[in-house]
Amino acid sequence: MAKLRHIAIAAQDPDAMAEFYKKAFDFEEVRKSDGPLAYGYHLSDGTIDLAILRFKTDQIGKGLDYTGLHHFGILVEDVEEAAKVVETLGGKHYMDQATPERTGGFEVKFYGPEGVLFDVAEHPWTGTEPLPVAVKEAAE
Amino acid sequence: MPKLRHIAIAAEDPEAMAEFYKKAFDFKEVGRPNGYLADGVFLSDGTLNMAILKFKTDQLGKGMDFRGIHHFGVLVEDVEEFSKKLEALGAAHYIDQGQGGHQAGYFEKKFFGPEHILFDIAEHGWAGAEPLPAQVKEAAE
Repeated sequence: MAKLRHIAIAAQDPDAMAEFYKKAFDFEEVRKSDGPLAYGYHLSDGTIDLAILRFKTDQIGKGLDYTGLHHFGILVEDVEEAAKVVETLGGKHYMDQATPERTGGFEVKFYGPEGVLFDVAEHPWTGTEPLPVAVKEAAE
Repeated sequence: MPKLRHIAIAAEDPEAMAEFYKKAFDFKEVGRPNGYLADGVFLSDGTLNMAILKFKTDQLGKGMDFRGIHHFGVLVEDVEEFSKKLEALGAAHYIDQGQGGHQAGYFEKKFFGPEHILFDIAEHGWAGAEPLPAQVKEAAE
């Protein structure tokens, strides 16, 4: 089964917000990023990536001053296969990772029902748990 | 360490949206919440509870027509202890689970963190979500 492994928050001040969640819940900072899409932090609870980002483009059509929960990400076994299923069900492809060799983040973004944005990846987000099947294989 | 165990989406049509995620990712339906705050469908990926909800009140101050990811929830060992910590860090307490007594499977307290981001905390866990690693260990002993 695919797994929810990423939650992204749109923040004006990712530095301060990341500090809050590190102190409040002991989440670990696993990556700081500043790319074409966003600046911010990736925290991990050991299972899920919590990204706290100041976005540079308006991905969800709510304006660049939007703050709040932004999108989530799902780890799948096979991105191509998942993309076909999502599109068959009416999901709309939004964009691919511009640097496909870079793993640990989104690989493809889609809009699902009601324009809700989500990512799909087959390589785990940095600092997150792999799919159970991958854990099982690694142990064998 | 506390764990992210809940993500809630504000939807106009939770039924149709839940069908999409069930078919697309094999998420299982684990409940049909119908309360004073929202109606909808609870899905689970085996680890997190994904709530697809039609809200009845404007919790975020973004209007009743807000669609998108709404809030998340963190499973903690002790809600009282974490409430004190969150308030000391500047979070604002919003509401407690108001229905008589404890309702397992739902949020227990809601807070606004920095930039008015809403999140829940609970110590009993959301429907279909994995318990804390310490709770799994205790149950096995």
